[in-house]
Amino acid sequence: MSTSPRPSPGDDIAIVAVAQTPARRRYADSEPSMLMDLTNQLLAETGLERSAVDFTIAGSCDYLSGMPFAFVSNVDGFGAWPPVYESHVEMDGAWALFEAWVRLAVGDIDVALVAGSGKSSPGNPREIFPLQTDPYTAAPLGLDPVSVAGLQARALLDAGLATERDFAEVVSRSRRDALANPNAQVKKDVAVDALLAEPYYASPLRKHDLPPISDGAAAVLIARGARARELTEKPVWIRGIDHRIDSHHLGLRDLTDSPSARLAAQGVDLHAGPIDVAELCVRYSPEEIVLRRALGLAPGTCVNPSGGPLCGHPVMATGLVRVIEVAQRIREGRARRGVAHAASGPALQQNLLCVLEGEA
Amino acid sequence: MPAFPPVQYRLEYPYTRTTGPIVGAFLTALRDGKLLGIRCRGRVLCPPLEYDPETGETLAPDFVEVGPGGTIVSWTWIAEPSRKHPFQQPFAFALIRPDGADSAIAHAVKASDPAALRAGGRVRTQYREERRGAITDLYFTPEAEAQDRYVPPGKGAVEMTEHLISLDYSEPLAPHRERFARGLLEGRFIGQRSPASGKVYLPSKGYDPIERVRMSERDDVVVSDRGTVVAYTVITPVQYYGQKETEPYIRASILLDGADQPLGQQDIRSIPVAGFRAGMRLRAVWKAAAERSVADVDNRWGGTGSVIERWEPTGEPDLPFEKIMEHNW
Repeated sequence: MSTSPRPSPGDDIAIVAVAQTPARRRYADSEPSMLMDLTNQLLAETGLERSAVDFTIAGSCDYLSGMPFAFVSNVDGFGAWPPVYESHVEMDGAWALFEAWVRLAVGDIDVALVAGSGKSSPGNPREIFPLQTDPYTAAPLGLDPVSVAGLQARALLDAGLATERDFAEVVSRSRRDALANPNAQVKKDVAVDALLAEPYYASPLRKHDLPPISDGAAAVLIARGARARELTEKPVWIRGIDHRIDSHHLGLRDLTDSPSARLAAQGVDLHAGPIDVAELCVRYSPEEIVLRRALGLAPGTCVNPSGGPLCGHPVMATGLVRVIEVAQRIREGRARRGVAHAASGPALQQNLLCVLEGEA
Repeated sequence: MPAFPPVQYRLEYPYTRTTGPIVGAFLTALRDGKLLGIRCRGRVLCPPLEYDPETGETLAPDFVEVGPGGTIVSWTWIAEPSRKHPFQQPFAFALIRPDGADSAIAHAVKASDPAALRAGGRVRTQYREERRGAITDLYFTPEAEAQDRYVPPGKGAVEMTEHLISLDYSEPLAPHRERFARGLLEGRFIGQRSPASGKVYLPSKGYDPIERVRMSERDDVVVSDRGTVVAYTVITPVQYYGQKETEPYIRASILLDGADQPLGQQDIRSIPVAGFRAGMRLRAVWKAAAERSVADVDNRWGGTGSVIERWEPTGEPDLPFEKIMEHNW
């Protein structure tokens, strides 16, 4: 048993280990198997026994695989014995991280396992996602995120806030950066002009302005105060998490902006320090333009060095992967302070920001 | 040996939703060929909301007819519509501000040519011949293509609206499930023995969830087709959408000899309820090979498919409760 000081309420909370599967078009493995691999990886890295995990929380969505209670089966992945004290959010794993962070802040437990996972391969995401919109006025139209992203892109062009070349530049840069990311699904060196020569799919968007369809999973271990220092030499401290939501009525929103992202940035005091790296949930290339403005990112900010969701989009894990990509760079000394962003709902309706910082 | 085809399944929820006074009035008006907005602190919102989006105050049902003309706020040309879209040929989704409204409505625009679409372009409502009191009763076209059509009003208020959710999925059978299904067709139960604990899972999920260890083909084991009833229930069918059963029957969990996990979901219709009990020894009577089917076996459900004709008592003495109490589920 360790003799170091015990954690106490008010302690900072840190990410102590991270794990992700590569994003792939289709995994033959079951979702619980993927989560099992990640759980074993996290426990091996920290030397923790499964029984020492105080709280487990997962983010996933049964609609992706079409299996009622798929999220219950997923608990197998975390180890069915001893019984888990667990929770679940029908959201991306980044929201599971938010709940775990709040739970640990209560001060009575020290270690939480957080996961996000999803297999989009069995279903048709374009037909599934309209179900998250208004059931009377939008869902019956099959109003899907690709179409809504097209509306947002058009609004940006008409307002003079972006050009199609700007969209293509986001794609070109992201896919080139993804060449260095072993977990990315789509990675290639493609010039902006070649991208602009492609036909429209949901104008003014082209197919490459959309995310790939991916299967994948991600998980992190977080711990409080002294416990975090016991489990890793390089804790990545969570300095703040904030989550805001815009109206779900598309016609009430200005799609060229993201007020909820701006509010979340204020909530985490985003600009209290330098932002060495920003991993943003850019599923559609115009989203990067909206987010850079709404978050007030300086022009030279390093955005999505992993390639971002345009290069791999395991729905329900994508946001947590952004957290992992920032945390990894901090652990490796390539950044000291960074921000991870997760989004949910049409056209950046919901935005979560997580500020991470390494040791001084 | 031919591989199994991918498992196809359809998830359906045939929702009927109550509409209430605000959405109901809106959908009733659509059925009658009119577009309504609602007054909200000096503005007109379309579609009508039940509450003020900024203060949360409940809105009075103070409706005003808006349109039929409107102005495009934003649009996107859908080159390859999904099956759920309002049109199956290329069309546009648009945010449209109806004349007289201060907000925009997201809807479909049927246009013969995307060149007609631009922010500021004029469109008009068009109503489908068959209307149900749903958002799909209308669509928009560019003003130049709009047609005047008489829309006969319906009777009564739209108090319920239907929304069928129907989603198709296709997933290859996982390798361990293929081997399990193939075993059933051959008249054998194939489980998996955990390399970590030695416990035999049947049907296996391809991993040992207690020791957190994946399993592979070398962990496959054939399990006997005779065993012990460890739990059972008598099901009295309740009528619900999709229910096929009418008569009470037994559903039992059977711990096959050699397995550590009971085989659940076994329906028993040939043994009288009165004599049925936990501890009872049963064996599987298989269907003739040509009649066996594993069509219902997917990656999670499907039990043992349709390969067992019936379970019948072996005549052996019952197993005492102490021998089965760990598997009582």
